[in-house]
Amino acid sequence: MAEIVFDKVGKAFGDVKVIENLDLTIEDGKFTVLVGSSGCGKTTLLRMIAGIGPATSGHIYMDGKDITHQPPEKRDIAMVFQNYAIYPTMSVRENIEFGLKNKKVPKDERDRRIAEYAEIVGMTPYLDRKPSDLSGGQRQRIALARAMVKKPSVFLMDEPLSNLDAKLRAAMRVELIELQRRLGTTFVYVTHDQIEAMSMADTIVLMEKGKIQQIGSPEEIYHQPANVFSAQFIGTPPMNILELGDGIRYGVRPESIRMSPQRMDNMVLYRKGHVITREMLGAELQYKVRLSNGITIMVRSENERDDVEEDTDVWVMAPARHIHFFDADGKRLGHGGPQNLLDRLGGMNE
Amino acid sequence: MTSITSLEREQQREARRIKHRSWVTSYLMILPAMAFLVAFVIYPTISMAHMSLYYGNAKNPYKKWMALGNYSMRDDFWVALRNTAAYTGMALVLVMILSILFAQWMYKSRKLNNVAQTLFFTPHLVAGVSAGFIWSWLMSSQPYGLFNTVFNALGLPSVRWLDSTSTAMFSIVLMNTWKSVGYYCLIIMSAMKSIPTEIYESAKLDGSPAWKTFFKITIPMISPQLFFLLITITTGSFKVFDSVRIMTNGGPGDATRVLSMYIYDYAFQRNNTLGYACAAGIIMMAIMVLVTVFDFAFVEKKVHYQ
Ligand SMILES: Nc1ncnc2c1ncn2[C@@H]1O[C@H](COP(=O)(O)OP(=O)(O)OP(=O)(O)O)[C@@H](O)[C@H]1O
Ligand SMILES: [Mg+2]
Repeated sequence: MAEIVFDKVGKAFGDVKVIENLDLTIEDGKFTVLVGSSGCGKTTLLRMIAGIGPATSGHIYMDGKDITHQPPEKRDIAMVFQNYAIYPTMSVRENIEFGLKNKKVPKDERDRRIAEYAEIVGMTPYLDRKPSDLSGGQRQRIALARAMVKKPSVFLMDEPLSNLDAKLRAAMRVELIELQRRLGTTFVYVTHDQIEAMSMADTIVLMEKGKIQQIGSPEEIYHQPANVFSAQFIGTPPMNILELGDGIRYGVRPESIRMSPQRMDNMVLYRKGHVITREMLGAELQYKVRLSNGITIMVRSENERDDVEEDTDVWVMAPARHIHFFDADGKRLGHGGPQNLLDRLGGMNE
Repeated sequence: MTSITSLEREQQREARRIKHRSWVTSYLMILPAMAFLVAFVIYPTISMAHMSLYYGNAKNPYKKWMALGNYSMRDDFWVALRNTAAYTGMALVLVMILSILFAQWMYKSRKLNNVAQTLFFTPHLVAGVSAGFIWSWLMSSQPYGLFNTVFNALGLPSVRWLDSTSTAMFSIVLMNTWKSVGYYCLIIMSAMKSIPTEIYESAKLDGSPAWKTFFKITIPMISPQLFFLLITITTGSFKVFDSVRIMTNGGPGDATRVLSMYIYDYAFQRNNTLGYACAAGIIMMAIMVLVTVFDFAFVEKKVHYQ
């Protein structure tokens, strides 16, 4: 059990400031997912929590205690490294056992736990193998077992599923979520896969270039993106962002757009468009549509009723609740603003 | 149908030609090395074995057929063998431990370490004979002996270094350690540098104390290089000659008479004992082969290859 608080934390490598003035509270017992594009500082953040790449300014607290300069072994934290960091000279069993031995866990308790967690990650038949004889995915699972077996109060995972195939990844995702619910341990999970983030998180921390863009539940991030970056990061294809004038922009998600040869009622946005391409993605359909002002947008629909042919003219429409407004800095324009903006949008209708 | 078969046959012939040509090229490429091996290793070994069966001297090695008579070793042979074993044992332990310690100390790249690396490595470039001379001066009990001068200045008693039967051998080991440790240290250090830092970080998170990380992670991960050191230091030390010849010439008494000096003595300094010297040489070679085979058969099992 542990809550982690970052207070004006900075991290620099020599002259390069990777993270500056970062404030963040990671809630106790929650599944927090750090998500962001490659190089944005996710691993750096995890390493600061673990104590293996200490912060260069500010303070980090764990349950109110300042741990900024506490050595890693005193933190009761386990970490799964991005490149696994398996001990190559030890067998799978010895890898999992190493941390327990150092904690002086008695032999029978060790054996019991090893058996339990080897079973969870499906590595029981491989316990006496050397890591060099195993596949990347199997090594990743050892790394998971090695961390879980210590029953830490904070569990850090740096893209722990990136090397597994789709099926195993889905299974491990469920396994991890269940494990977290069962243990009630604080999980901090790094990924650059937004789907993984959405499906696993209690709280998503969205980062870009060392700055936090938004913190919130998957619902909040999806329905109330704090800024253009956040709006475009989550969702495939990303949110369509269009100009309203005066630097103000509005956005509509591809899946929130309705399309039809006829004008529908109760919409706010009405634009004429021409369907350029139509892709069949199984349950869903995805279209590229050129608006009359020449701008192309993406539209996604799960509804075969709404299906339109390639190379036809259609109405592109959206209801008020699905339209997001952003100011010149890309920040979301909160409540109060939107009514006049909706009117302005209506004024531009065709 | 027939045309296809003949085409296939033609292709097979072509493949064989190419294979043959690459076979010839590869042998041509190793030919120089093979020639040197035959001229300077295989031929001398065979002729040494041959000479060991005769009574004679360097001018006329084949005076009288002795059969295996030369292989009944004289008492002083066992002294030389014991001295060689002692030298090899001390050198092995000292060089191994010091190279690992220095490597562990220097492998983090700091400015100081680059300087230290150069300082450690330079002795390796000095000729063995010159190093022997320099150290006999340093260890001299004459007033110009630097070590004793420093010892005395620090209030410590003089050491008899090369002049006492109990310290002479160790003094030579010391000199050769100084000369070779930088080279071996470099090998160990590059092995240490290839260990990913995440493994150490992971060990820290696993609560592993420094000594445990060293013995359970570092040492196993550099074991291929340690094995290489074991083989090269053992065989190298077994053949030690020039430093002993310069620094003590086998003395005081027979305290530092090692096998290669013993063989040299009997081959060139005495009358008609060339055959006996050759027999000693063959035995020395047999021991080295045995030790190496033992290393590969038993020690190598503990080596972890990536
Ligand atoms: N040891 C280091 N020295 C210098 N710069 C570093 C170091 N480690 C990381 N950086 C820089 O810090 C930034 C953040 O790196 P970090 O590893 O935290 O990214 P990340 O979000 O984990 O990316 P990825 O998803 O690719 O793993 C990068 O620009 C990187 O170049
Ligand atoms: Mg990373």
